[in-house]
Amino acid sequence: MNQNAGGVQRKTVSHPGPSWCTIIMDMRIFQVSEFIETINLVLREMWQGEEIGVEGEVSGFRVSQGQWVSFDLKDGQALVNVFLPVWNLRVPVEDGIRVRAIGIPRIYPKYGKFSLSAERIELVGEGAMKKALALLRSRLEKEGLFDPMRKRPLPRFPERIALVASRESAAYGDFIRVLKERWGGLHVDVYHVLVQGERAPQAITSAIQAAQEGEYDALVMTRGGGSMEELMAFNDEQVVRAIHGSRIPTLVAIGHERDLTLAEEAADVRGSTPTDCARRLVPDRRDVQYELATHIGDIEQAMMSQVHGSRAALSHAVAAPSLWLAAQRSQLVQAASACTGGVRQWLRSMSERLQSTSRLLASLDPKAVLERGYAIVRDASGAAVTSVASIRVGSEVTVRLKKGSFDSNVTKTYDT
Amino acid sequence: MTPKKETKKIDVAKGFEELEGIADWFESGDGGLDEGLKKFERAMALADALKTRLDEAENTIREIKKRFNVTNEE
Repeated sequence: MNQNAGGVQRKTVSHPGPSWCTIIMDMRIFQVSEFIETINLVLREMWQGEEIGVEGEVSGFRVSQGQWVSFDLKDGQALVNVFLPVWNLRVPVEDGIRVRAIGIPRIYPKYGKFSLSAERIELVGEGAMKKALALLRSRLEKEGLFDPMRKRPLPRFPERIALVASRESAAYGDFIRVLKERWGGLHVDVYHVLVQGERAPQAITSAIQAAQEGEYDALVMTRGGGSMEELMAFNDEQVVRAIHGSRIPTLVAIGHERDLTLAEEAADVRGSTPTDCARRLVPDRRDVQYELATHIGDIEQAMMSQVHGSRAALSHAVAAPSLWLAAQRSQLVQAASACTGGVRQWLRSMSERLQSTSRLLASLDPKAVLERGYAIVRDASGAAVTSVASIRVGSEVTVRLKKGSFDSNVTKTYDT
Repeated sequence: MTPKKETKKIDVAKGFEELEGIADWFESGDGGLDEGLKKFERAMALADALKTRLDEAENTIREIKKRFNVTNEE
């Protein structure tokens, strides 16, 4: 113990008497602030620079003035207050979860309150981590960081890629290998980062931010599988926000299929593994070649059918005048035969009329009456005699028979 | 019958109209003989002129097709 530190005033009162009295009387008198200062010094020196952490359950968690975090850490028997600036709190904390507070125990001079002044807080155990993660997730979700409406598609054929990964990792090797297998000629800038541990979140965040300065078509972040604790850097709020804020479309694949980190949820596209990540980033050249060939085939077919269609239309058009002509011809034949037929009919009806008139006339001929034995009697003037009143006895008449005629004298007349 | 002045430049549509008109006249029946004969002669002349016109048209179509190397229909 360094007893001279902090301006400790030392006052020894000596009494005559037995030696134990000197022990009793060997007293140090402090001013309050000196006392606190000394105690704090002692506490700081106690573990010789070794980090100390205290584990317990959080209770009474609160943030004051937006800068100071304070809560009690307790177990079944005891309780200690923990105090830290808000920027040192990198994990989501709430009442009831188990944390480890790492820092220095000290007394806050103003209120004489003993607390653990924490440099950082770590979550203890998977349960706490899961709980904290769920908490952070729901907060960020409410803020809209995982909104599917905000997701941008990756370009189909990216050329320049920013890769945030650890160059030593198997994930990096897998990603690059599959990328080259599928598609060539890509420009990949690697932003080498630590992918786990305490310093990882800061390194990853800085890498994402640095990549924003470059002209990239996609920002890819990947790492292989690991325990939940190992993957926690990708659940870090700053990392998640950096991914969310990236102006370059993002593709993130962390761990295995079953691991889903918040960074992946915030990304535009999520890959399940580093290999899957490469698959999602670039198409397979064979697929593209096949697709191209299919397209060419389709286009050829479409053109051919268009040509066929046009040819049919053309021959239709070419044939049209001939068809029209044929129609005209048949119309002509019809009209001409109507005329010849009409004229024949017309002539026939005229001759029929002639015949019936002739018949009528024939029946009226007086000669036909003489045939039957009748005679025509005319007087001297030649007029036909139809009554005895018009002739006198002694006058001469001429009688006409069917064959020949004779003259005769009227000798007597009768009224009947 | 030698009234073959109409062969050139007969209007096909009008020619048909007239020809069909004459056919109707005969069908409706009455009319003078001389008039009828005159009409019949006119009809025959029209039919002949129209036929000539259509033959010419067919030839022209054939020539044009040959000129543009169009193989025959369909």
